[in-house]
Amino acid sequence: MKKIRIYMMIIAALVMLAAATHSWAASQMANLENALMCKCDDKCGKVLINCTCDTSKETRKTLMAKLESGLTVDQIIKQYVDKYGETILSAPTKKGFNLSAWITPFVALVIGGFGVRKVIQSWMRKAPAQNDSQAGEADEPQPETSSGKYSKKLHDELDRLES
Amino acid sequence: MNEIGEFALLLALATALYGVVSYVMAFRSNRVDVFLSADKTPIIVWACVMVSSIVLWRAFMINDFSLQYVASYSNIDLDPFYKFSSFWGGQKGSLLFWTLILTTYMMVVHIQNRKQNIRLVPIALAVMMVIAVFFLVLLNFSTNPFEVIPLPPEDGRGLNPLLQNYWMVIHPPTLYLGYVGFTVPFAFATAALLTKNLDDGWIRLTRKWTLVSWFFLCMGNLFGAQWAYIELGWGGYWAWDPVENAAFMPLIVATAYLHSVMIQEKKDMMKVWNMSLILLTFVMTIFGTFITRSGLIQSVHTFDEATLGYYFLAFLGVIIAFAVTMILIRLPLLKSKNELDSFLSREASFLLNNLVLLGIAFSTFWGTIFPIVSEAFRGVKITVGPPFYNQVNVPIGMVLLALIGIGPVIAWRKASWSNLKKNFTKPVSVAAVGGAIMFPFVPLTDKSEIFTYITFILCIFVMTSMLIEFMKGTGARMQAHGESPVSALSGLVWKNKSRYGGYIVHLGVVLLFAGIAGSQSYSDDVEKNLSVGERFHLRGYDFIYEKLLVKEENSTKTRVIAQLGIERDGQRVWTGMPEKEFYKGQKQPVSEVDLISTLKEDVYMILADFNPDNSSATLKVYVKPMVKWMWLGGWVIAFGTMICVWPDRLEARRRVERLKRQEAIFMPAQE
Repeated sequence: MKKIRIYMMIIAALVMLAAATHSWAASQMANLENALMCKCDDKCGKVLINCTCDTSKETRKTLMAKLESGLTVDQIIKQYVDKYGETILSAPTKKGFNLSAWITPFVALVIGGFGVRKVIQSWMRKAPAQNDSQAGEADEPQPETSSGKYSKKLHDELDRLES
Repeated sequence: MNEIGEFALLLALATALYGVVSYVMAFRSNRVDVFLSADKTPIIVWACVMVSSIVLWRAFMINDFSLQYVASYSNIDLDPFYKFSSFWGGQKGSLLFWTLILTTYMMVVHIQNRKQNIRLVPIALAVMMVIAVFFLVLLNFSTNPFEVIPLPPEDGRGLNPLLQNYWMVIHPPTLYLGYVGFTVPFAFATAALLTKNLDDGWIRLTRKWTLVSWFFLCMGNLFGAQWAYIELGWGGYWAWDPVENAAFMPLIVATAYLHSVMIQEKKDMMKVWNMSLILLTFVMTIFGTFITRSGLIQSVHTFDEATLGYYFLAFLGVIIAFAVTMILIRLPLLKSKNELDSFLSREASFLLNNLVLLGIAFSTFWGTIFPIVSEAFRGVKITVGPPFYNQVNVPIGMVLLALIGIGPVIAWRKASWSNLKKNFTKPVSVAAVGGAIMFPFVPLTDKSEIFTYITFILCIFVMTSMLIEFMKGTGARMQAHGESPVSALSGLVWKNKSRYGGYIVHLGVVLLFAGIAGSQSYSDDVEKNLSVGERFHLRGYDFIYEKLLVKEENSTKTRVIAQLGIERDGQRVWTGMPEKEFYKGQKQPVSEVDLISTLKEDVYMILADFNPDNSSATLKVYVKPMVKWMWLGGWVIAFGTMICVWPDRLEARRRVERLKRQEAIFMPAQE
């Protein structure tokens, strides 16, 4: 009985190991498919993971074979870059000149942010000091302010005088 | 008959040239006779282009393969529905289609303003005619759709199979209606700059044009995504392809304009900024056309004969130089009041919204042109694909989502702390509770899943803040007028169309964000090679491969279909029929996916490969949650935009009153 239990445990461990290996291989494959472009004759211009052409199927088989041979994702990517050039990568690398691709949008946003801050500050300097009662003006009709009340009263009295 | 079409194009060009000259002359010399002679030109140009288009459509319908364009994009067996859409299937026809829409808009502007807005309309029409002249020159002298083949073939090459999908009949016209629509606000803005009429007039005249164009561009993008989802067979809907980016960028810039223009309408601020944004939107539409037609940047969507790059580059250069010069010259006249009370105000939040939107537009633009930049500086061609855009645009998009919730409920001018507390306590609390409830159920194993989780929390925050706005308004009406909840809600929306229509658009955008986040992060897929009778399991569904069918549809098309039984909890729920279509003369077959689509998830089936000898098939199945939320979001956006553009006398009256108030403030009564 004890032996059976041990065998069962070994089998369960093997099954789990196989499943884990399979899911690890699948994730490695997905990483590769996301990192590389399809290199077909039609120049379909798609990332490998999104491509359904015949070339992409062949590429997937080759990639799987390379993974099974023990090469890492980085090694395989390097092989492809050496063969086809950087254009095979689905995104610019994050080093050297290519780093500017990644940084520029955020630099532009930060500069824009400072610009907006400066613009708002200059507009605030121009604004006359506001009565606190006028703050918080939303779209809904606001309760009448004291100055509004007086001007209404003035209008009413002038109307009465004219009539 | 084809000669008539060709002649009509020449006549359209001559008339448009005459129109430009006479409108400008009439304006400069104040001559009524010249103006009256120019007055019919928009209708004549439109009629000529329409005749030309009808002739080309006729050629497609009667299989007139003597025309090179028809022989290239149609064949005898092509469904008449697709013969109709083949018109815009290639470069020449699509340019004619663009010109047809442009001249139709020109005619509508002419009719709308026949006896009004005389200070702006002639010059605006002249600007539209200049743009029409550019397209007509291309059509007459560079890409003539009526080019004849000396020895016509018996049958044509046929339309690209990928374009034989109903979404491809709807998507390009919708996109073009949006693209070309921005010519109208551009023309009026240019007219305002040229004639020095730089008050809000041009904005009021083009408000609905801008909204309608924005709507078409938005729907065009969504229809394109639906086409990609159904037709390309890779389980996705957006690949950040340069041409997709080209349609996305003007949409984003126009969205920024639609928001900032509200500040000008309400506060008479940001005149230079709004002028620049609308000019930039138009520039972006031409940039998109340049990308499609230059072949400079590699794209799935580029036309086969992408030879017009230099023409569009020159046109783009002229427009940018002209726009920048005009704004610089008119800078003193564009000065506005520009006063702000606080960082904590709706004006400031709109500025932030503009910054973020332009940040997204810029990063997309930068990614699109970076391959050219890299080649120019390093001599190395690189690719900028989805991983770049997802990593850069997703965090910026999340900030935008948060601003959608903050902007509309923060007060104009200056928000007090009590106002902030009053408006944000409930949405923030509901979002926090929602986040806590979701926490045990959503996977948070990688960056993408964490971003999705944050996006969901933000969606709850925005949704709650919008719903509270509706509830507050409805409650106030119920109290004031004693109305039932339904009539109070409909009355609220009907009496404040632009405000609540805008909120509905925001609700649609929230659905869109949620759909994108959910479908990107929580998708599952499996690929199996199966013999008949074999089965596999994915996320609660059992798939049984039943048979392989081969159908000869006609002499040019053969369909190979894999029949799949789909069970859930032991019950058969669907019979899946993913297929591959083979077209004569085409190297690659086309995938036709099968789909079970619910609000919870889409089951997306693709026939990846097959072996007719032993009837085995390779099937790929995706289970993608929440995809339908995106399409639903699109329809909510459409509904909200319809409400915004619906004619509203009350709002027109309010605007007139506001203008009077502004005039009273800025133009003191003359003694």
